[in-house]
Amino acid sequence: MDALLIVFAGGLISLFAAFAKKPFLVVGSAMAGLLGGIIVMINQLQTGKAFFDFLKYEGLLFDELALIYSLAICVLALLIIGIGYERFKENPVHTGEYIGLLMFSTVGAMIMTAYTDMFMFFLGLEILSIPIYVMAGSNKSDARSSEASLKYFLTGSFASGIFLFGLAWVYGATGTFKLLEIQAKIQEMESLSPILMIGVLLIMASFIFKIGAAPFHFWSPDVYDGAPHAVTGFMASVVKISAFYAFLKMFAICFGMGELYTFWKDALVVMIIITLFVGNLSALRQVKFKRLLAYSSITHVGYTLLVFVSGSMNAFTDLWFYMFAYGFSIVGIIAVGLAVNDQEDRIEALRGLGKRNPFLAIVGIVSLLSLAGIPPTSGFFGKYIVFSNAWASASWLVIIALINSAISIYYYLKVIGTIVSPAEHEQEKIKLSPLTVIVLIIALVGMLGFSFVISWL
Amino acid sequence: MEVLLFILPVFFALSVLIIPKQGVRAYGIIGSLAVLVVVIACMMQYNNDGTMHLFMQKPWFYGITLSFGYDGISLLMLLLTAVLVPLILVSNFKNELAENRLFTSMVFFMQLGLIGVFISMDGLWFYVFWEITLIPIFLISWWFGAPERKAALTKFFIYTFVGSLAMLAALIGIKVNAPTFFIEDLKAVVFTGKTACWLALGFFLAFAIKIPVFPFHTWQPDTYTKSPMAGTMLLSGIMLKMALYGMIRWMLPLFPEAIHCLQYPVIILATIGVVYAAIIAVKQKDIKRVFAFASMSHVGLIAAAIMTCNFDALSGSMVQILNHGLVAVGLFLAVEIIERRTGTRNLDELGGFAKQAPKFAFWFAALAFASVSVPLTSGFIGEFLMLKGLVGFDMVVGIVAGTTLILGAVYTFRAYQLSMYGPVTRDHFADLHWSELIVLALIIIAVVIFGVYPAAITDFVNPSIKVVLETLSTPSGL
Repeated sequence: MDALLIVFAGGLISLFAAFAKKPFLVVGSAMAGLLGGIIVMINQLQTGKAFFDFLKYEGLLFDELALIYSLAICVLALLIIGIGYERFKENPVHTGEYIGLLMFSTVGAMIMTAYTDMFMFFLGLEILSIPIYVMAGSNKSDARSSEASLKYFLTGSFASGIFLFGLAWVYGATGTFKLLEIQAKIQEMESLSPILMIGVLLIMASFIFKIGAAPFHFWSPDVYDGAPHAVTGFMASVVKISAFYAFLKMFAICFGMGELYTFWKDALVVMIIITLFVGNLSALRQVKFKRLLAYSSITHVGYTLLVFVSGSMNAFTDLWFYMFAYGFSIVGIIAVGLAVNDQEDRIEALRGLGKRNPFLAIVGIVSLLSLAGIPPTSGFFGKYIVFSNAWASASWLVIIALINSAISIYYYLKVIGTIVSPAEHEQEKIKLSPLTVIVLIIALVGMLGFSFVISWL
Repeated sequence: MEVLLFILPVFFALSVLIIPKQGVRAYGIIGSLAVLVVVIACMMQYNNDGTMHLFMQKPWFYGITLSFGYDGISLLMLLLTAVLVPLILVSNFKNELAENRLFTSMVFFMQLGLIGVFISMDGLWFYVFWEITLIPIFLISWWFGAPERKAALTKFFIYTFVGSLAMLAALIGIKVNAPTFFIEDLKAVVFTGKTACWLALGFFLAFAIKIPVFPFHTWQPDTYTKSPMAGTMLLSGIMLKMALYGMIRWMLPLFPEAIHCLQYPVIILATIGVVYAAIIAVKQKDIKRVFAFASMSHVGLIAAAIMTCNFDALSGSMVQILNHGLVAVGLFLAVEIIERRTGTRNLDELGGFAKQAPKFAFWFAALAFASVSVPLTSGFIGEFLMLKGLVGFDMVVGIVAGTTLILGAVYTFRAYQLSMYGPVTRDHFADLHWSELIVLALIIIAVVIFGVYPAAITDFVNPSIKVVLETLSTPSGL
């Protein structure tokens, strides 16, 4: 709870600091807020007690799981701000709004991890989403950015509407908004009411939309493509973690038992298979960097959805590990895209990166290997954990996922090949700011040594 | 001390990146010799009773353990790696590649992966290192290979990655029933016939693609010919041996139930590969392709011999693994010598070098003899023991596989004759540089020593092979 307030305060301060028109101040206060939040959360994880015990609200509960997820969210938001700093500096007038919105969105993400009733969840979802609608369109001079913003806004509000509609059905069936009470009510039911089932399906559809799985994925390539790099990175890492955790939490607590579980699981299995193939096969022929990233992220959603099928007790930590590791790779690859800064965002523009900046090239290659799930990157360990826990209940689904890994290696390899190939003509060197280098080193450690760090804790 | 096996390659791989350009050659060789010293020290320490010497074993996370150790088989593979890497670096000495920091760094990363494969006693770490080796070899060939390499390399990467994923699936499939990935825990899992076959098949696919066994070989000739010499040497000298080692260490002991359903098909496929590759090698015009197919033929025989689960055959296959690693490096160096001096590998355009370069002619001939396994070379011991095992397994298979001796002589000496004898085609052909001479001479000396005194190898590995075979003969590995 106190971490939430600190991050919120950091966002507010950075918004006011924007009056000074000094990007440094804005970014500094935002980072300080996130760092403060991270420290508070680590402290709470270690001691089991919050700094301010009296700050409590029944709609939000920062238990251990919510804390580790919020921690991942704050760390990734911090890294994204770090790599985006250079770009914010170019346009000092708008830095404040940009960073402020990003911080508020992070607050929304944290609320989505800690909610205990549906109201707070919806609040968190909207706090998370509305800033992103704006941020996606922050490249005002670029038509694609505006298109992304509008598209995301329209489809996103549709999804919110569908969620509310579903929630109404669930409320009709159970008469409460609190997660635990819903769980108790459903357990009391002698047979599943159709009202509830419709509600569950509608809620699931809205979640599927939010995490960008097929068949509700059509917004994501366009939005990823049009939004500025840092926002794309934010959507692929922070938004996905929080939406996934909220999804898993709601469905594990409320709808995760008995008949109801098998009811929506079957629907989900079909969607996993579609997601995997749609994401992978569409990614094969992409020539644009961020579109490729969008389809690859659809595929990753497919892999991650396997935790829902596994039904194992470790599902929450599996998901956390996978998404955190995935977030690091996204940070790395987005940093590469930002630094190369090709107007048309072609993959070909990465050619000769090894000559232009070897460090950046290494980060790019490791990120791609991590996305592809090749050892010893943490992306591999994440995949392994998810797959091995899903094996017991659905080994054939794991095999389908492995086949998709095999398909995906082709397009990752193509990008890696482009990075390590020499350019046709001489290109200027890329200079990285010290802040970016620090962020990238953290991301590199996260991608290569994350599993070691976790095992020591 | 054994931890140095990990630390040294990583240290040299990273530190070579900041060394001045003139020093890279010497630095690489010193680094690889340092690893060799550590490996020899490990061999001295090992008491050679066939037991597993675990130098590290502690739990990690998610059922993965940090278990590393070695027995006689692992030590032999380590020795092969540690000997071949300096040889490969020395044979590159005259090349401008040797001055390249990235190249040397990648060779050390490759060595790290190989060492890891041979000393991992945890299933998942085995997989991790298995995959790690793929990245440096891919990059070496991508950066320094022949002009039209990209399609071939992409095919190679995807092919082997698909195989590895099958192995990962099989590993996950066993792990579900075992507490950890530690090899003894995995061995303790008992499967019923059908599941065991499917899981063993997952492992086999990974190994068969790497070896390569007959229908999975299509990546191999192109990758070999398009890679730079060092890449080809690493691939055929050591990387293929990973798969053979994997069969002995993982596939057979983990699924003793599956041997009955896999044994015949695998041996037959491998034998087809032996003959098929040898026949193709006879018709090749490109000298590098000749030896690429030759490599496939030789290694197929080793795979067949391993699957017989016969003591003599396994012991012979270990001798042949060492012999083939050395000879393959020598042959590809000879190819490189010819290509570098004449600019072509086409046998039609070559000839007459024996007069101009007598030293080269002598050592190349010695290599050719070693390659066709004449007595007094270690290849003879290896192939003899393996064929003995195969004949004991099935007379027909043994005889068909035995034709490799004849065909081997045909393609090797055809390539030798067309390139070294006949009308003189070039005005000038420089004789061996001292670095090339050292490599070829060391290889021949080693091959002859092991040919005269094979007990040096067999005494070392036999206790460990006995242990492996014991797990097979006791039903269900308990």
